[in-house]
Amino acid sequence: MLPFAEVMQKADVNKLYDEKLRQSKSAQNRRKTPSKGSHSRKKKIKTMMRGMGLDLPFLFLVIVLVVIGLIMMFSASYPVAYYEIGDSFYYLKRQLLFAVIGVAGMIFVSFFNYNKLHKLAPIFLAISYIALILVLFMPSKTGVRRWFELGFFRFQASELTKFALILFFAHWGSKYYEKMQSAKYSVWPGVIILGTTAALLFMEPHFSGIVIMTILTILMLYISGMRVRYLVAGGGFLLLVIFGLWVTNSLTYAMQRFDGWGQALEYTTPEMWQTTWQTRNSLYAIGSGGLFGLGLGQSRQKYLWLPEPQNDFIFAIVCEEIGFFGALIILIIFALLVWRGITLSLRAKDRFGKLLGIGLSSQIGIQVILNILVITDWLPNTGISLPFFSYGGSSLVMLLLQMGIVLSISRTANIEKQ
Amino acid sequence: MAKKDKKKSSKGVMQMLRSRTTYLIIIILVIGFGAITSRLAYLQTIESSYLQEKAVEQQLRDTTISAKRGTIYDAKGKVLAQSASVWKVVLAPAYFENNSQRKEVARGLSDILELDYKDVYEKTKQKSYYVIIKSKIESDTRDKILKFSKKISKKNSKLSRVIELVDDYRRYYPYEDLASSVIGFTGSDDQGLEGIEYQYDEYLKGTPGRRITAKNANQTDMPFQYEQNDDPKDGNSITLTIDETIQSIAEKYMKQGIINNNVINRGVCIIMDVNTGAILAMVTVDGYDLNNPYDLPQADLDAIRLLPEDERAEAESAALSAMWRNKAVSDTYYPGSVFKICTSSMALNEGLVNDNSTFYCSGSVRMYEYNIGCHLRTGHGTQNFFQAICNSCNPAFIKIGEMIGRERFWNYYQAFGFSEKTGIDLPGESEDIFFSNDGTMTDLNLATASFGQNFAITPIQMITACASIANGGKLMQPYLVQSISDAEGNVIKNMEPVVKRQVISEETSKKMCDYLERNTAQGGTNNGYVPGYRVGGKTGTSEKLKSTDGSEDYIASFCGFAPADKAQVACLVFFDTPKGGVYYGSQVSAPVFVNIMSEVMPYLEIQAEYTDDEMKYVDTAAGSYIGLSTEKAKIAAEKDGFTVTIKGEGDKVISQIPHAAAKIPADGNVVLYTDETSESELVTVPNLVGYSVSDVNAVASAYGLNVSISGITTSSSSVSITQSIAAGTQVSEGTVVSVRFGGSTTVHD
Repeated sequence: MLPFAEVMQKADVNKLYDEKLRQSKSAQNRRKTPSKGSHSRKKKIKTMMRGMGLDLPFLFLVIVLVVIGLIMMFSASYPVAYYEIGDSFYYLKRQLLFAVIGVAGMIFVSFFNYNKLHKLAPIFLAISYIALILVLFMPSKTGVRRWFELGFFRFQASELTKFALILFFAHWGSKYYEKMQSAKYSVWPGVIILGTTAALLFMEPHFSGIVIMTILTILMLYISGMRVRYLVAGGGFLLLVIFGLWVTNSLTYAMQRFDGWGQALEYTTPEMWQTTWQTRNSLYAIGSGGLFGLGLGQSRQKYLWLPEPQNDFIFAIVCEEIGFFGALIILIIFALLVWRGITLSLRAKDRFGKLLGIGLSSQIGIQVILNILVITDWLPNTGISLPFFSYGGSSLVMLLLQMGIVLSISRTANIEKQ
Repeated sequence: MAKKDKKKSSKGVMQMLRSRTTYLIIIILVIGFGAITSRLAYLQTIESSYLQEKAVEQQLRDTTISAKRGTIYDAKGKVLAQSASVWKVVLAPAYFENNSQRKEVARGLSDILELDYKDVYEKTKQKSYYVIIKSKIESDTRDKILKFSKKISKKNSKLSRVIELVDDYRRYYPYEDLASSVIGFTGSDDQGLEGIEYQYDEYLKGTPGRRITAKNANQTDMPFQYEQNDDPKDGNSITLTIDETIQSIAEKYMKQGIINNNVINRGVCIIMDVNTGAILAMVTVDGYDLNNPYDLPQADLDAIRLLPEDERAEAESAALSAMWRNKAVSDTYYPGSVFKICTSSMALNEGLVNDNSTFYCSGSVRMYEYNIGCHLRTGHGTQNFFQAICNSCNPAFIKIGEMIGRERFWNYYQAFGFSEKTGIDLPGESEDIFFSNDGTMTDLNLATASFGQNFAITPIQMITACASIANGGKLMQPYLVQSISDAEGNVIKNMEPVVKRQVISEETSKKMCDYLERNTAQGGTNNGYVPGYRVGGKTGTSEKLKSTDGSEDYIASFCGFAPADKAQVACLVFFDTPKGGVYYGSQVSAPVFVNIMSEVMPYLEIQAEYTDDEMKYVDTAAGSYIGLSTEKAKIAAEKDGFTVTIKGEGDKVISQIPHAAAKIPADGNVVLYTDETSESELVTVPNLVGYSVSDVNAVASAYGLNVSISGITTSSSSVSITQSIAAGTQVSEGTVVSVRFGGSTTVHD
């Protein structure tokens, strides 16, 4: 993380942007006739509105999601916090703290020129791999090693990897954008990077991580211009790999996750009933919500029926409390965020920014989709958290910092326009 | 050129990025978000109610709180059945952490509750929070359980929630087997299974309360969320028309009758208020202990033990249902000669017979190929209508039946209520078995029916019909429940007597009462005469269908009422298959009827009305004359209605025979002794058996003895049967000798 901080310190972003702003203003003034003074004042206000180039709608959507996420996380978590920790506010207090840190970090990062990350991308990837290797040596009770215990909080190593992967492929795709058509510049980096990442995650084990990394890799390579036929071939290859692993029984852990998939509501054996407990209670919660929900705070399933309601399955409680229409509004906000993120990134002045912004924004959409597919039993129960909602300090901070980068991209895009 | 190419390719790349981003947006926002939105929409609309139901099912704890079952009182407010608090031991084995805890608790509980250790241990292995270990434990056992629970929770506080004691109720029957076939009992869930408990279950059981609480996955209540309490509503109490005193009297004599006559198939006694139809006592002997309704008598158990193993369970349940069966309403029998009171009423009511009608009996009647015999093989000769009733003469009643005719007979049969259930408020009432359902019958059927054979009715039907003859012709609906009151004691329902119909005219009823009163008076004890009371009644001995061993079995019955001029109570006594040597209603049932009625009528405060003759024999208590001067004592004793004999020369009475307060006849002789020498004078008791009342009195007074007369003295043919002090015994003059009289005519019908 040191290089990242270093970069931020080095970046004299304010100066740079002020300069550009001044230039564009004077250019404008030159173009416009003096008679349109009132118009120029309007422009000025508009520029101010844009928060000195920040994309305010995107920022607004992020803040709205953070706030709603906090409220829902509190509502979902207080019984568990009360029963298990004895402090109903336990999760809220911690999440609130991280949200404040995260938002501050986001604003800070948005002033930083993301282009500096261009060259750091390989280093980031290397650091994330080191983290993935180190995490395998962390003590664990369950045999699953994904986190660094840092006293006050714990950090999930793959959070860093996700970002590093997007960053790397944005870097790669922008650097070799002319050569992306060839397999040498698209398929092989994809196979090597994804292969390494997947191998490391496999050892944790962290299958949902592998799934997300795979999707992100394909997504990044696709928008970078890789031939579709390679994607199809790669997809076929992946299936072969999965099949091979399955045949050799290497997927024991993942296979357990497939157990009971899609049959959470049917009673077969006591063990299976226990395995599908979380999914079943998630479905109960979602169904109980109906169209309008039981009312904020009125969830019953959060009373220990749905295990860890503050984590991956938080949206089930959201559905229970505010119903389908409430859930729909939240999904619309997510969609708007993704839409806004992708479209503003397309306006970025450089290819790196475009790819990075699209990757970071899409990542949110993909996580939302995967998360909700899991809680509605359309995907096996794997650990995929819901951005801005699920409890987890490190992931929230990471997420907000990434949003900061998108905001930074939006800033340059706006300036470009002006 | 290269620069241009580069630019071009760059433009191409840009375009590709734009188009691919569009696809990306479509994939993520349209397909991806579309999928999850529709999935959520599906779950939250179409599947919503199903999922919600499932969720609620697991979230809510629905606990039933038992309601206290209502009390059953007798007519005088004595408690016949009552519910008392007991407890249910419930285990929450899910709290156990290891097998040693399970073993300890299973050991403790099985010791305290006297259960099999293995069974309890199996229960501790269940992953449940509600396993019933034992129901209906008493407070002393509860204390032991509480102590045990405290002990184990001291070791491990988590175990404090393992054993729970849930409030419950248990049914107690303080009089045990009294009126057992009427009251019935309840099952393990407090539901009525037999008798009144079953019939009035709706009223008695009350409404159990419910406690609905939200619970979390740890099964602990969530007190701050939707708790709904429905308090249990205690059951209503029921006051029976049954009077414990009358019931006890009836049961006492019925049990005696069973023993004396070696009755194989139990006996029935019903006592009814003829004017309302209220049942004052309904006895099926032998009954069973209502507190342990599944305990069979030893004889049954022995019989079952002799059976092959695979037949035992069936035999046991058959024996139980036979034991619980209320013979008074569930069994049918041939009414026999008792039914002649109905045949007589029909004929009288139709004006077919009068006092002057004569009937001839040669000892049998030939009908088609059958020879129907009279019980008196030699025949009764020529007799008038009243004599035919007293003789219980079958040929005469065949003739009367013939006069009535099949159609009218059937109409009256229906009118007397034999063709329908009486509607008594008891479960399991049987219907009659007549020759046909629509009343068609042959002449032969009519002939046998007119003296009560070959059709079967229930005892309750018989006494109801008898009551209608006694009460002026009104057929009443018999009933057992007087009133129903709520848990606070407010009467919510009072039963009113139901007159079903006027069966016979009041004149006919009056005439019948007169005949039947004279019938009993003539026949004496064996015809149901109760001294001091005007009793009307009729004996009956009916043949049962031949049993498999070929032996002839009988039902000995007696049905009567009192007082004959203004009937108040009717009583039916019925013994099924007496095997004690005698089997006639007159020998088996009539004496029991007399015993019962002679206790019941004083209890009911029916005034005894002695005839002038009887008045003489009604004993009074001798006064105390000791210490008075001879003169004064003589005057006092004579004033009390006694004749006085003075012995000795003293001027003061020093002793007297009979002693003060001893019972002597109203005109008895009091011997007053005035000196000690005279006290030693003794007389020898003569034989007083085999004489008429006047003879006995004459002999006794000649010896200077007092005679206390009991038994039947009204009949001209009454003779003394026993004397209390044997002939030849030396006693003081004035000693009271009790002499019992009996009627000499016994009708063997």
